[in-house]
Amino acid sequence: MIADLSVFGDALRFIQENPGLLWDKTVEQIQLSAAAVGVGLLIALPIGIGLGHLRRYSFVAISVANIGRALPTLAVIAVGIVFLPVGFTVVLIALVVLAVPPILTNAYVGVSEIDAETIEAARGMGMTERQILQRVELPLASPLLFAGIRTAVVFVVASATIAAIAGGGGLGDVIVNQASYGIEGVIGASILVCALAFACDGLVAIVQRLVTPKPLRGRHVDDATLVSEPL
Amino acid sequence: MTGILAASGPVIPDFGEASSCVQDNRLFCPDWVRDNWGPVLQPALLQHVKLVVIAVAIGFVLAFAAALVARRSTWFERPFDLFSALVYTIPSLALFQLLVPITGLTVTTVEVALVSYTLLILFRNILTGFRSVPADVLEAARGMGMGSFQVLRRVELPLALPAIMAGVRVATISTIALATVAAFVIPEGLGRPIFLALRQFFNTELIITAILAVALALVADGLLVLAQRALTPWTRIKAGS
Amino acid sequence: MIRKHTRRAAKAAFAISLGVAIILGGAAAAVAGSSKQTATPIIVGTKNFGEAFVLGELYKQALEAKGFDVSYKENIGSTELIQKALTSGKITLYPEYLGIAYTVTFKKTKFPASANATYATVKRLYKGKGYTVLRMTPFQDVDAVAVLRTTAKKYGLKKVADLKKVPDLTLAAFPEFRTRETGLVGMKKRYGVTGVKFTPLAGISAYKLLDDKKVLAAGVFSTDPPLATSKYVVLKDPKNIFGFQNVVPIVSNKLVSEYGSKLTSTLNAVSSKLTLKAMLAMNTAVNVDQKPAKQIADAFLKANGLK
Repeated sequence: MIADLSVFGDALRFIQENPGLLWDKTVEQIQLSAAAVGVGLLIALPIGIGLGHLRRYSFVAISVANIGRALPTLAVIAVGIVFLPVGFTVVLIALVVLAVPPILTNAYVGVSEIDAETIEAARGMGMTERQILQRVELPLASPLLFAGIRTAVVFVVASATIAAIAGGGGLGDVIVNQASYGIEGVIGASILVCALAFACDGLVAIVQRLVTPKPLRGRHVDDATLVSEPL
Repeated sequence: MTGILAASGPVIPDFGEASSCVQDNRLFCPDWVRDNWGPVLQPALLQHVKLVVIAVAIGFVLAFAAALVARRSTWFERPFDLFSALVYTIPSLALFQLLVPITGLTVTTVEVALVSYTLLILFRNILTGFRSVPADVLEAARGMGMGSFQVLRRVELPLALPAIMAGVRVATISTIALATVAAFVIPEGLGRPIFLALRQFFNTELIITAILAVALALVADGLLVLAQRALTPWTRIKAGS
Repeated sequence: MIRKHTRRAAKAAFAISLGVAIILGGAAAAVAGSSKQTATPIIVGTKNFGEAFVLGELYKQALEAKGFDVSYKENIGSTELIQKALTSGKITLYPEYLGIAYTVTFKKTKFPASANATYATVKRLYKGKGYTVLRMTPFQDVDAVAVLRTTAKKYGLKKVADLKKVPDLTLAAFPEFRTRETGLVGMKKRYGVTGVKFTPLAGISAYKLLDDKKVLAAGVFSTDPPLATSKYVVLKDPKNIFGFQNVVPIVSNKLVSEYGSKLTSTLNAVSSKLTLKAMLAMNTAVNVDQKPAKQIADAFLKANGLK
């Protein structure tokens, strides 16, 4: 077993000796993940917030959460490959499909669970629906919103790693290509992709901190798709 | 082309031509699914179930023990939570590959990774479940002379069950999805036919394996909901009254 | 009512049963471990594509039919990976292509003039490493250049060198074909075929590109199922620039000394039946008709009295 652990040393050397390759792959993965999360936000936020504001169709949020959890990345890619050729497009679509559920569900729960009295008070003050959304619901929902975005970001980065087998590129490309890069390359890229995931998670946490209104900061909020009570 | 020819050429049996559906690689060929259910699909499905059941069972035992400790020793919760959250952030493929040099290309590697991913959800939910038990109920139970084990078994567990079951549901579904990646390390589980199908771009196999993976998760979720209802019948009475 | 020492008793009972379980488990593992120390296990490995699976199943099932106990590690990966598995003892037998062993494992660049000469060299080199190379199969799965039959007629193409006659020659193949001696480089050096517009393949079948007339020629493999039809012509390679790629079982010397001619003759009997026609049929079954390799091997062995 001691002999086996030497691969970690080889892996670190691989990282030292291939900075250009690994940097390019990392950038590739960041671009892919950012695009997927971006598109995911564009789709999921309006629907989640909108439905949450109306407090209607909660079954949509629940179903989306359940289905989203049940989708293995590989299965989504498998279906994608049936209809699209290997490459950036099919991977992007697969990642968007995976990013939408946590964002949508958390947006819905975040907005819809705001105390009804608070909303009533705002209406009583004469705010329009739009103003209620902007000045009351969104700020109050932001902890859960960001919990969802954080989950989506980590999930997309992790899934992008596997999606390399469908031509997604990124560090996963090295990890699935042991024949070309050797075991040291696989371990090296695995270490780096962990660091990438941690960094992205931390980054979203920082953004969350900055954007959350001061009174709401410091509260640790669980991702609504992982909450204790079944949705 | 070259060289050695046997005295008589070999007998080439008829391997059975596949339907034109399969040969043309059309979208979905039910006949292929029928023919290959026994040799390919069912074994993969059963291996998958086995991997998941073992992972969730072990994860539950560990998370439960950790939750019991965290209840008594408040310093324990934060570190364990951080640790399991950290592991949860690691991309599954990376975790599998990092474990391979340590535990080899074996089921152990797969199970260590899968168990680690369940810890966060199960730990949080079990602990939340325990915490949701009202303090006065606990006091009443202790006042009746119940020892700690009795209180746990007859009071806390039943009341914590909804949260615990919610955690088990989420953990099971996530593990079913993650276990597809296990095929990178060992030739078991639904991930294996997915890989072989991806190599050949064989539509029928791609679609049926994807459907099986999702269906397995939904069925497991449904069964766990039924189990929860069976274990906590009083929560249904609430709706009626 | 509830007695305090019941709890302690429960804890003690749990601790004892855990201890017993550990001891029993350890004993079982020790027994299982010790019984394996005598014989070298027969572990067959395969590379990661359809033809490799068929070959692996053929050798595995033939050995099992003769009463051998065989472990199977399918889908190990590329040549480098399976070689590592062999040298580290994770497998003790696998089918390899002569030319691949020659160029990739032993890093030679120029092929000898015949398959037999290549065989002799590979056998000698493996012997030095502690492995026996058994008899080679009649078929070879060698790189080749194919064109549509209609294209061959149009330009009068019979051999690779004839490609010089084609203006604006387009050729598609897997990416490494461009830089290999057993690829475009060899074609240029030995046959003078130049000015080729190369399309690397990534996921799309070369035959589809030929059918759609997107390219005039394609780098293929001689046992590809489409070549069993009369739609395509494989151009002849008289200078053997693509080398020789018959299949040989590479067997650890320990296996040979332990199991002797019973093992080697079984494997050789299988190899002798593997002609190009047989392999094309089996590849069609596994790659086109999507039959499991296990089933195909079973049918072939039974039909030929090897099972």
